[in-house]
Parts: sequence; C-alpha cells; structure tokens
Amino acid sequence: MMSRHKRIALRVSGFIVDYLLALPIGCLAALVWANTFPDSYYRFAHAMAFAVNDVGIVFFLALITKEVAEATVPGGALHPWRRAALPVAAAVGGVAVSIVCYLAFTHEVGEHMLEGGWVAVCAIDIPGSYVIARMIFGRHPAVPFLLLLAISADAIGLACVALIHPVGDAHPVIGLGLMAVAIGSAAGLRRGGLKNFWLYLIGPGTFSWFALYLGGVHPALALVPIVPFFPHGRQDRGLFVEPAPQAHDTMTLFERWWRLPVEGVLFLFGLVNAGVPLQGLEVGLWAIPIAALARPIGIVVAAAGAIAAGLHLPARVGWRELLVVGCTASIGLVFALFFATAVMPPGPLLLQMKTGALLTIAGGGLAFAAARLLRVGRFAR
Amino acid sequence: MERKCVTRLLTALLAVISAWWSVTAQEAALSSAPNSVMFAAIGDAGTGDPEQYDIANQMTRFHAKFPFDRVIMLGDNIYGGQGPSDLVKKFSQPYKALLDMGVKFYASLGNHDDPGNNRYPLWNMGGQMYYTYATKNVRFFALDSNQVNQKELAWLENALKSAQEDWKICYFHHPLYSDGRKHGSSVDVRVSFEPLFVMYGVNVVFAGHDHIYERLTPQKGIYYFVEGAGGELRKGDTKRSAMTAKAFDQDQSFMLVEINGNLLSYQAISRAGTTVDSGTIQRQVR
Repeated sequence: MMSRHKRIALRVSGFIVDYLLALPIGCLAALVWANTFPDSYYRFAHAMAFAVNDVGIVFFLALITKEVAEATVPGGALHPWRRAALPVAAAVGGVAVSIVCYLAFTHEVGEHMLEGGWVAVCAIDIPGSYVIARMIFGRHPAVPFLLLLAISADAIGLACVALIHPVGDAHPVIGLGLMAVAIGSAAGLRRGGLKNFWLYLIGPGTFSWFALYLGGVHPALALVPIVPFFPHGRQDRGLFVEPAPQAHDTMTLFERWWRLPVEGVLFLFGLVNAGVPLQGLEVGLWAIPIAALARPIGIVVAAAGAIAAGLHLPARVGWRELLVVGCTASIGLVFALFFATAVMPPGPLLLQMKTGALLTIAGGGLAFAAARLLRVGRFAR
Repeated sequence: MERKCVTRLLTALLAVISAWWSVTAQEAALSSAPNSVMFAAIGDAGTGDPEQYDIANQMTRFHAKFPFDRVIMLGDNIYGGQGPSDLVKKFSQPYKALLDMGVKFYASLGNHDDPGNNRYPLWNMGGQMYYTYATKNVRFFALDSNQVNQKELAWLENALKSAQEDWKICYFHHPLYSDGRKHGSSVDVRVSFEPLFVMYGVNVVFAGHDHIYERLTPQKGIYYFVEGAGGELRKGDTKRSAMTAKAFDQDQSFMLVEINGNLLSYQAISRAGTTVDSGTIQRQVR
C-alpha cells in the first residue's frame, strides 16, 4: 500500500508535494495559535493579510495558471479547447447548485449578513482535489476531467471576485491603462524572444498588479493574464505532472524557481487564514460545506444536460465515475479560503466562512466513500 | 394574644412598606435630571415572541418615570424573516408606545439582520452600516462589527479624533469582552477596534450577541456592557471570570442609562421589572 502511494507521489509534480506539506502545517499552526493566544494571533493575521493574500498568493495562482496555459498545447488536457466543453458545463451546474444551496441555507437559518459571501462556494481546490482524484483513480481520464472542472469553477469564482467585489476605491480608467501596458509589454517580450521569467515578473507583472489594485480588482490575480505569455514547450506531459528534466522553457524554469517560495507562501496562507475559533461560531459556518456537498448533484445534472445536447464523456468515465468526480470537487479549501478573504472583510462573518472552507476538506472522505460504494477506481476490483 | 396580633400586624406592615420602598427605589435608580442625556439599550431583541413584547412594555412603563428620548439597538434587531410584516411584528408593534411618544431608535446591525435594513427609516441609520451622532455632551458611534474593513477603521479614527463631546460611546453587535459561554469575546474584532478606543478616549462600549446581561470590569480603562437579552435569552450562559463585574442570565433584560455632567448612571432591568444591576461611572479623563 505504501509503495503505491509513494509511486503516485513521485509521478506528480513537486508543486503538489509541496502543497501537501506546507498548507496543512500552516493551517494546523494557525488553529492552535488562534485557540491558545487569540490576541497575538489576530494581530499577526491582520498585519500579514495584505502581504500574503494580495501579494504572496500571486505566485501560487501563477503556478496554477502555468499548468492551465501548458494544458492548451498539443498533448494537453485543454487541446483542443472543445475538449473542455463538458467539464465547463458540469462546472457551471455545480457552481449554480452550490450558490442556490448556500443562499437557501443562509436564508433559512437567518444568517442574512453571510448572503454576500456566495462567491466562496464557486471554489474547488485544484491541488487538493487532484491529489484525492489521483489516489482514487490513479492515471485515469477522470482526473484531467476533474481538473478542467475545477479550473472552470475557479475561473467563474475569480471572475465574480474581479467583477462583483471591488477592492478599495476603484479607478477603472487607470487600471485599464496600466493593464494595457502590462499585457502589451508581456507580448513585446514574448515577440522579442526574451526567455528570462524575471523580465516578465518585474515589468508586466508589476504593472498588472498595480493595474488590478488601482482598478478595484483583487491584485492576487496579477500574473493570471501575464503567465500565458511565457514561452513554453511544444508538448504538455499533463496537468501537475513533473516536467521533463531536460526542459528549459520559461514556464518550466519559472515553476522550478518559484516552487520553494510558494511552499512558504502556502504555509503563510494557511497560518494567516486558517486560524478560526473552535467554539462560539454561529450556525452559518455550515453554509459553505453544505453548498459544497450539494455540488455533485449540480455537476451530474449539468453533465446529463450537456450529454443530451451532444457532448460526450471522456473514455472510461461513466456516471459512477462522474459522481465520484463530483464528490471530489466538493473540496474547497485554499480556493474557498481565498475567495472568502477576497469577498468578506475581517470579522466574525469571515471567521464563519473560513471555518466552512476548512470543513470542506471532508469532501475527500466523501469521495473515498462514494468510490468505495460505487466500486470505482482503486475500489473497482 | 392581642399583643401577638399587633406584632404580626406591624411586621406585615413593615414588610409591605419595605417592598414598596424597594420597588420605588429601584425604579428611581436614575435621577432623570433635566439636562441629562437619557437613553435605553436593547440587543438581540427582534424575535417577535411574547418575551420581546414584555420587555417593550417594561420599557414603556419605565419611560413614564425616566423619559429617555432614544434607544440604542445592539444588533440582531430582527430574527428570521426580514420582510415588511416582520419589521412590524418584531419592531414597530412591540415598541409602538415608545415610537408614538417620539422615542427614536438608533440601530447597529447584527449577524442575523438583513444589511438592507440599514435603510429602514425607524432605525435612523441613513443607509449606513456605521455612523455617528451627538446630543449635548455625548457622542455616539454605531459601528459594524460583522465585517470590519479598513474603510470603517479609517472613518472611525477620523470620527473619534474630531469628536469634541465629553463622552464617547460606541455600540455594535459583537462584544469585545464577554463571559457568555456560547460566544464570548470577539477577539478578532477587538484587535481592530480596541486600539482606537484606547487611543481616542472612548468611555463606554455596549454590545449584544451573547444573550445575557453583563457588566465587565474596566478593560484598559474602558467600561463594557453586554446587553443581548432584549428578546432572546440563553439561561445560565454566563461563565464567570475575573472580568465579570455583574451578570444576569435568568431572564430577558434591557438597560437604562443617564449621563449627567461627568457621571454616567446605568440600570439593568429584567422582564419582571426588577433592577438586576445599577451603578454610576465617573467619566475617565485620558
């Protein structure tokens, strides 16, 4: 059993391994600190929130964007784009059902102040759900299907964060102007054949960060429009698969350099955001977990509609696999924490949402239980 | 035998006089001085249940002797449904007598309130989640403790800095200090608000959320009250600690407050009309 787990870990990228190490340690440290010395913890968390959530997490989202951008080249999960049509449809269904359940629950229990936090239920934790899916399915078409679904759902969430929840006093004209400079300079660097990723980060990346910040959009998304301009390889080995040792394209070098710092960022992200009191919270903390649990229903129903409209499930993915994928997609974790902090200022409401985001980790257990019950993946034999 | 009867009669008479004096003394705990600022405080009130109506009736009864002209609302002003009929059943109907007498209500919102109710005219919030107003030598700051953003903190700092009144009173929903077993102190809110309160000389803070009455020992020179039993009640929910000055968790309650010069007098009253706590605070000069 151990050797099988080890083999799975070795196949996936170091980014995923780092994620599995750094984030939980940060979360656990935060929980212990917040429940033993809350004054010092909250002072620390408030002081660090901007540096971690608005600056540091830029590089985590950049590494995710790098995986998505690489997936669009031949051999990638998003090549050609129409392969993503069914997962996108499933994601829309999952997100819609989650939002409806979230709003219905908060209304039913009278937690009206939480209603504005619905964006958080768009979140599917990409690295976390990937790890669970790999443990259940191994190398199976259900895994890239899940990743595409997760990327689509998070893209919807990011769009909502960007468009619906302005940050500070927005200056959209200045923001648009700076973003034009950022994208223009990134395109110029690419056209000029420049391969050093630092050039892209220091120039276009900085412009993009200020463009979003001044434009009223969450600046953590700063590298999302820049990373696709990085020169990259002609073939993709798959989402979150370790790049070939001989690969020296800009995206690969970017990942290799930033993997370790992002490990620190993820630790800090857990430390700053996961410190919630273990008692005294309102019933509203269950809103996100309940919405996440309802997500598989939306995914399956939307997929059924898409199939009826002429789309096809990937080979070897049937309804049972789809249901297990849906259960795996109920993990919100990092992305739910990020969305929660992006749409809700500090205070008791945010603490409820963060607790709910952390509780979605139970989606992993749900996925294993569903896989076992339906005899799917490693439980098929 | 006759002597025994007279003794019994005198004892009974003494008991009646003593009870009458006790009730009168309780009801007259606050002086109602002509130039004083008089107000009431209720929190977690909007259930629409008979207990809320009982408290409202007691407030009306006490208003006859202590004519407060305003009520500060400490959040969770309406539970459950938030529609127009709920606003009637859980607010304008129970407090009708007070509203008819011209008493104004100034609300802060709790986690169970609909944020859109900041436009409800009878709550005088002017569509804001946080706001300030003054009367005589007292300035009130109604704050939003549900979500404390930088904009609110910057506004609060500016408002506290420019306040010229002798007394600065803040109120909001989540208590910075509380011995309520269910919720307790909201430490994450405390680290945001308290430094400003201390720096700019806030005198007294009122909050709700825990469904009890509690007066706390001064914390960093500031007096804190929890009054979250204006309709809801969590019996026996107090977990007494070194910071508990007085707590009452056996019945619903509300508060009356009078500020006269440098003195603030308070009286916490139960649903039965019994005074459960009272006292006077000398204004701290910092």
